[in-house]
Amino acid sequence: MSSFLPAVAEELLREIRNVYQETSQIPDEILLALKFVFGPSALHALDLVDQRAVTVLSSPSGRRVYQVVGGSGHLYTCYTTCHYCPCPAFAFSVLRRSESLLCKHILAAYLCQAMGLSQQETVTDQQMSNILCGKAGPGT
Amino acid sequence: MIVGERCDIKTSLLFLTAITAASELGVKVLFLTPTPIQSLPGSLQDTLANLNPDSLKKIKFMYPRSREELLQDVASLHECACGPSAPYSLIIVDGLERYLGVRPDSSPQPEDQSAAAHVSALLADTAAFLTRKLEERGGAYAPCRVIVSFDVGLQGHSGGESLLCMDPILSILDRYFSVRCTLDRDRSSAAPATAIASDKQPRGVWMVYFSGVGVTARLTAGKEESSIMQRQWRLAVCPNGALEFSPMGTDE
Ligand SMILES: [Zn+2]
Repeated sequence: MSSFLPAVAEELLREIRNVYQETSQIPDEILLALKFVFGPSALHALDLVDQRAVTVLSSPSGRRVYQVVGGSGHLYTCYTTCHYCPCPAFAFSVLRRSESLLCKHILAAYLCQAMGLSQQETVTDQQMSNILCGKAGPGT
Repeated sequence: MIVGERCDIKTSLLFLTAITAASELGVKVLFLTPTPIQSLPGSLQDTLANLNPDSLKKIKFMYPRSREELLQDVASLHECACGPSAPYSLIIVDGLERYLGVRPDSSPQPEDQSAAAHVSALLADTAAFLTRKLEERGGAYAPCRVIVSFDVGLQGHSGGESLLCMDPILSILDRYFSVRCTLDRDRSSAAPATAIASDKQPRGVWMVYFSGVGVTARLTAGKEESSIMQRQWRLAVCPNGALEFSPMGTDE
């Protein structure tokens, strides 16, 4: 899904991946750059990363999808190859106003992937289908 | 993505694409539409009659009646992508507007935009997954592509292109579909209503424009920088229903 990001954002995520692998932390200048590129959702996304809110679900077919637990405990399903989130911020700031590139949930998924902090979980193919069309969470 | 005013020509084009992909490229095609195709132009019926039945078997029709059913059908495609039969290389959705609850008389609501994004994103993500599966099988039939048609209520309007730019649903679809193919009825060359239908007069003439980031990227990457950004074609519907394409302008 990185082809949906401008080059500067991709570069930034690459840098986070490299720096975090070496030092297990993100230096201040990269935090500033994150805020500059992604706006206020950057800090919220980092909170979600701290809370280990991102889970990569996979099923036997090989299909994968992100599930992000939002601040209110609500579960958001985001696709791995293109930008979509069912949250109100995505509908408003991304789709309607075109003000931001993405919402905090998708950014958190990017960051967790870059930092290797995503949880992993396996579901059945049928559960995956239900999750993909926005029907149900895993095992709930 | 094929965009244009309400007309049957888009269904015919999509059907022709499905047949061509199945018979000439040998790939599997999934054709999603809310209602079974009732009638086909004569030329397509001839093509069908001459078609190898095995080619036709490569096209699967599904008729999801609602957005929920469409989402469900697309979401479960991954379940059979690991079986013995090859995954689909082409997913076609005819009449996407009918799944998005777009009413011609009222302006789209924010929920409609989210719904359009959800359906488009699921189609795109599914195509990316099936592409990976096709590549695992050697990649001969990769990648998996998605084509949708979308009606815009332009009946009787002129200057359609500017209206298209403002359509809030279309602007969402443009995020997920990198090439837009616009069909614009050419009213100037249409036969006057009083003229007796002649055998040689085309039944309708359409201007076909290609635009979008997919086209722009290809043009800047290739040797075609000098040509205009939008590729234009003329599409004439012949009296026997055959579709005739001819390039327009300086483009080729
Ligand atoms: Zn979100």
